[in-house]
Amino acid sequence: MKLKIKGLIATKEGILFIIFLAVVAIMTILSPSKFLSNYNLQSLAYQLPEFGILSLSMMLIIITGGINLSLTFSATLAMIVGGLAMSSVFANTGGAFLALVIGVALMLVVAALAGIFNGFVVSYIGVTPMIATLGAATLFEGISLNITKGGAISGFPLSFIMIGNTAILGIPVPMLIFVVILILMWLLIEKSKMGAAIIMIGCNPKVAEFSGIKVKNVLFKAYMISGLLAGVAGVIMASRYNSAKESYGSSYLLQSVAASVLGGTSISGGEGRVVGTLLAAMILQVISSGLNIFGLNRYLTNVLMGFILIFVLAINFVTEKFKKN
Amino acid sequence: MKKLKMIKELPLIIILVLISIVITIINPSFLTVENFLDLLKSNLVLTMMAMGMLLVILTGGIDVSVASMITAVTVIIGNSLIHFSQNILVTVLLATLCGVILGLINGLLITGLKIPPIVATLGTMSMILGIVLYVTNGNWITGIPQNFIDFGRIMILPKTLADGRVIGIPIQIIFLLPIIILTWFVLKHTVIGRGIYALGGNLESADRMGFKTNRIIVFVYAFEGFIIGLSAVAHTSIMRQVDPNAFLGFEMQVIAAVVLGGASVLGGYGSVLGTIIGVALFSVINNGMILMRIPTFWQKIVVGLIIISSISADMIQKQREEHLKVRVDVDEVASYEA
Repeated sequence: MKLKIKGLIATKEGILFIIFLAVVAIMTILSPSKFLSNYNLQSLAYQLPEFGILSLSMMLIIITGGINLSLTFSATLAMIVGGLAMSSVFANTGGAFLALVIGVALMLVVAALAGIFNGFVVSYIGVTPMIATLGAATLFEGISLNITKGGAISGFPLSFIMIGNTAILGIPVPMLIFVVILILMWLLIEKSKMGAAIIMIGCNPKVAEFSGIKVKNVLFKAYMISGLLAGVAGVIMASRYNSAKESYGSSYLLQSVAASVLGGTSISGGEGRVVGTLLAAMILQVISSGLNIFGLNRYLTNVLMGFILIFVLAINFVTEKFKKN
Repeated sequence: MKKLKMIKELPLIIILVLISIVITIINPSFLTVENFLDLLKSNLVLTMMAMGMLLVILTGGIDVSVASMITAVTVIIGNSLIHFSQNILVTVLLATLCGVILGLINGLLITGLKIPPIVATLGTMSMILGIVLYVTNGNWITGIPQNFIDFGRIMILPKTLADGRVIGIPIQIIFLLPIIILTWFVLKHTVIGRGIYALGGNLESADRMGFKTNRIIVFVYAFEGFIIGLSAVAHTSIMRQVDPNAFLGFEMQVIAAVVLGGASVLGGYGSVLGTIIGVALFSVINNGMILMRIPTFWQKIVVGLIIISSISADMIQKQREEHLKVRVDVDEVASYEA
C-alpha cells in the first residue's frame, strides 16, 4: 500500500488525481447537501464532455508544438452551418430523422474542413500556428456572424436535442460520446504510430523529418482531427443549448489551454497524456461548478482559475528544480 | 544594408497604398484630412499598445493580458479622477505606475518561474479581468471630472471648417509620439535593444554573448506596462468614461497589427516602422469597409483573410528564397566537380 501511494505521487497524473480527490473532498465538506446533490452531479456529467473534448483537441495540437486559437470558433461555425441546414430541412420537409442526419453530418464535415484549413496553412504553407489559427478564428467568427447576423439559430428537431439531454442507463449521452473519444484519443496519441510521430514532431520537427516522418502530412492530419473533435463538441453544445450561436463556448478556449497545461502537456510540445488532460479538465470543471453552486461570483471563479494555472506551473517549476538538485 | 531594410517594408506600403486607392475611388471622403484625423484618434491607443507588444514579440514572447491590463488601469484612473485627484500629472503617474506593476508581474512570472509567456499572461489575464469585473460588476464609470474631459478635447493646430466644425490634431498625440520615438530609440540605440533582438533570435546564444536575458525580458514587460498606463490615460481622455468591457478581444487586434507589420512571432524580427504600417493597414481596412458601406459582419472575414494571406505570402516568399539558396549550392558543387 505504501509503495502504491509512493508510485502514485511519483507521476504527474498521480498528483493530479490526488488534487482531484482533494477538491471533491473540500467541496463535499463545505456543502455536502449541495455539492453531492443529484442536480449538481447531473449537471457536472452533462457539462464535462464538451469541455473535455475541446481540451483533448487542444492538447493534440499543443503536443505538436502549436496552439489552436480557432478551436471554439471552429465548433461554433460547425454548429451554425449544420444547425442552419438542419432547421431548414426540418422546417421544409418535416422529416426529423433526415434533418438530424444532415445536420450532424454537416457539423462534423464543416469542423473537419476548418481543421483542414488550419492544417494546410500551418503545415504546407508553414505559418506559425498561433498566427494561422488566430487569423482563422477571426475568419470563422466572421463567417458565423455573417450567417446568424448576431442572433442564434434554433428550430432543431427533438431527436437532435435528445443527444445532449438524455441518458442511457443513467449515463448521459454526451458522457458516452466523451468516453468513446477518450479511448480513441488514447489509442491515437499513446498507442499508434501517428501518435509517436506527433510527439516526435513536438520535440523537434527537424529531427522528426530526418528520421523519416512525413512532418507536413502528420501535422495536417493532427489539425484535421482537432477540427473534427471541435465539431463533436459543437454537436453536443448545440444540442444541449437547443440553439447555435457564435459566442457559445468561447470561455472554453483559454480553459482548454489551461486544462492541457495543468494536465502535464508541455506548452512547447512533445509531451502530453490523455489521462492528465482528463484529470485536469475534471478538476477545473468541479471547481467552477462547485463555486457556482456555492454562489461565488463568477468573476472571482475566473480569478481562481488563473491563479490555479500559475500556481500549478510554479509548483512544477519548484519540484523540478528540487529534483535536479 | 539600409537599402535592404527599406525594401523589407515596401510590399506593406504598396498594399496600403493600393487599398487606399480602391477605397478612395469608391468613396472619395476617405482621402480627406478630416477622415485621417479621425483615423488617428480612433487608432491611437492601438498604435501605442502595438509598440509595447512589438517589444514583447521581438523577444519571442507574447502577451495576451494587455486588454485586461488596460481595462484595469482605466478603471483605477477613472475612480481616482472622481474620488482622489483631478490632477492630470497625478493621473499619468498613477496609470504608468499601475501599468508597470502589472507588467512586472508578467515579467517576473516568465523569468522567475520559467512559465511560458502565453500561459503566464493567460493566467494573469484571467485574474486581472476577473478582479476588475468583480469590483465594477461590469458597470460603466461615468462622471469623469470636467477638467480632464476638457483636456481630452484640446486640439493642436485647430482649423474651422466651412460648415463651422473645428478639426485638429488630437491632444492625445502627446502620448503617442514620445512612445513611438522611445520604442524606436530603445530598439536602435541601446544595449537593451540589441539584447531584445539577440534573445529573440536565440535565447541561449544571447545568454552566452553576455546579455542579461532575464533582466531584458522583465524590462520589456515592464516597459509594455508603462505604455499601457499611458494608453489608458489617452483612452479615458478620448472616451470620457470607463467601460470595463471596452477591450474585450482587443489583445487579438494588437497582436494581429504587430504581425501584419511583419514581426515574426518566433521573435528576433520586426521593426517600429513595420508595426506602424501594420496598424495603419488594419485601421485603413476597417475604416474603408465602413466608408464602402460593407456590412460589419464582413469585416472580421476580411481581417482574418488578410492576416492569413499576408503571412502566407511572406512564408511562400521565404520558402522560395530558401529553395534558390539550395540550388545555388548544388550548382557550385557541380562546377567544382567539373
